[in-house]
Amino acid sequence: MSDRDPADQDRMYAVWAEARELIKGLEGTSIQRLAVEIGDARIEIERGLPPGVPGAPTVLAPGGEFSSGDGAAAPDDSHHAIKAPLVGTFYRSGSPGADPFVRVGDVVEPGQTVAIVEAMKLMNQVTADVKGTVVEILIEDGQWVEFEQTIVLLDVADGDA
Amino acid sequence: MFEKVLIANRGEIALRVARACRELGVRCVSVYSTADAESAVVRFADEAVQIGPPATSRSYLHIPSLIGAALKTGADAVHPGYGFLSEDPYFAEICADSGITFIGPRPDVMEKVGDKATARDLMSKAGLPLLPGTVEPVNTLDEAREVCSEIGYPVIIKAVAGGGGRGMNVVTRDDDLADLYHMTRATAQAVFKDSAVYIERFLETSRHTEIQIVCDAHGSGVYFGERDCSVQRRHQKLIEEAPSLHLSDETRREVGEAAVRGALSVGYTGAGTMEFLLDLAFMEMNARIQVEHPVSEMVTSVDLIQEQIRVAAGEPLSVTQDDVLPLRGHAIECRINAEDPDRDFAPTAGRLDTYVPPGGPWTRVDSHCYPGWMISPFYDSLIAKLIVWAPDRDRAIERMQRALSEFEITGRGVKTTIPFHQRILDHPQFRSGDVTTDFVEHFMSEQVAAAAG
Repeated sequence: MSDRDPADQDRMYAVWAEARELIKGLEGTSIQRLAVEIGDARIEIERGLPPGVPGAPTVLAPGGEFSSGDGAAAPDDSHHAIKAPLVGTFYRSGSPGADPFVRVGDVVEPGQTVAIVEAMKLMNQVTADVKGTVVEILIEDGQWVEFEQTIVLLDVADGDA
Repeated sequence: MFEKVLIANRGEIALRVARACRELGVRCVSVYSTADAESAVVRFADEAVQIGPPATSRSYLHIPSLIGAALKTGADAVHPGYGFLSEDPYFAEICADSGITFIGPRPDVMEKVGDKATARDLMSKAGLPLLPGTVEPVNTLDEAREVCSEIGYPVIIKAVAGGGGRGMNVVTRDDDLADLYHMTRATAQAVFKDSAVYIERFLETSRHTEIQIVCDAHGSGVYFGERDCSVQRRHQKLIEEAPSLHLSDETRREVGEAAVRGALSVGYTGAGTMEFLLDLAFMEMNARIQVEHPVSEMVTSVDLIQEQIRVAAGEPLSVTQDDVLPLRGHAIECRINAEDPDRDFAPTAGRLDTYVPPGGPWTRVDSHCYPGWMISPFYDSLIAKLIVWAPDRDRAIERMQRALSEFEITGRGVKTTIPFHQRILDHPQFRSGDVTTDFVEHFMSEQVAAAAG
């Protein structure tokens, strides 16, 4: 932003530099939440923990990825359910007006992002865990979803999935 | 009053809070992990949201999911119950930031009373007696030595940030002081990320007594008498009763007033508990509703959870001190846990085939269980709180024995603490009322000796 007060920018850099130092110090600790504030400038960081650290959550790093879905709620054997990894708002695209990640009829690969679930301003990507064809997207854009609510149905009958 | 309260908890306390909401005419939302999908509160509540898998770090402790559930359902308040996030200032702050009222004290107040050194300082200023020892952290070994020679051994070194029985060591003689001082600091640093410790006189045995208070946002506070929780095993309470046999009316008034004064002096709002050891020293304050609150309700005829919700909504307390005193009759609570007392109280998870709670006069069961309910290995082992009331303690004990004998709980692999409670209630020392915190330990070694002999 060119019209930003350079003093503000300096402050923000200072906060960021301080935050980076602090993050390095967090290595191997169980601290999950950190806020650094200098004047009006504030950076808040919430981090996931490496597996094996007691109390480590397996979700919720900003922009973190999830693989989800075990097919338990699928209506028949050829269908595979991709489920919401947490409570939040469901988005079909990365930003308002952008193309949706997937449409009915698309073939998705394992690891491909199919939706975003937003919780407390953290965007959590939901990825396909198997290859398949999108048969149905069950949630309207911007609707709330619960944990493990089925959001996308894949047909895995054909192909090598 | 609130429109809708989200209950950020599970088990019996979630149902207890939901019942209070229903009676207040407030709608309630239950949140549940996949392991609790069939729980009683999910059926009872007006709405329910599945928030995560069984692991608490991703469900009942996962703040974004709880806030998400509150926003999804339009809840304007969150009741945290006990345990989980009930004393987490960060959660209270996030609730406030999201426009949701946290039913409990303000985050900054919670933080203050959660710091043991600060709480001791504040309560001492409010006129509550402390054990001989320090209010400020002890920063050097020389300082520690000075304090110990002043107050005399045995002493206990405690982490300022400690809790749950961790981060404390008893020192009985000067020779051990250096080692234990350094060890406590190191443990405190490792476990609580804060090496600060303080020192106080150690009582080998004492009576665990706690004063229940509720303060509103208009500067009023009421104390609801005390509870005696001396029947405990490794800091886990088993039986609680109210009133204590060892507190005179005059002392009750003095300590109660000081407790309220201390709480109000820090701007405390909501329900809280001041823990004391008799006679008579302030130990710490708990900024939440406690498991054993029903015994206080029984002797004061006040629904504490409803008061808690009322004051959080900005309403004044519905009762005055004069409505509450004198305490009426005697109440006892037994915690019925899915644990095997013969195997060191190991938790026994399993599905309940039979669950027939007792009934009859002045017999209350706070429980989320029903036949077919699965006692899950993921959570605490509390099956039910059995509470009875009677005009005096002897008759309350008789009533409790009658109620325990009616309670039928069976399930594959499930053992309960019912037989253990029955034996304690029959013990002459318990009957006499002369119980201190070492009672259960002595009782158990007696049982072992009797079995061997």
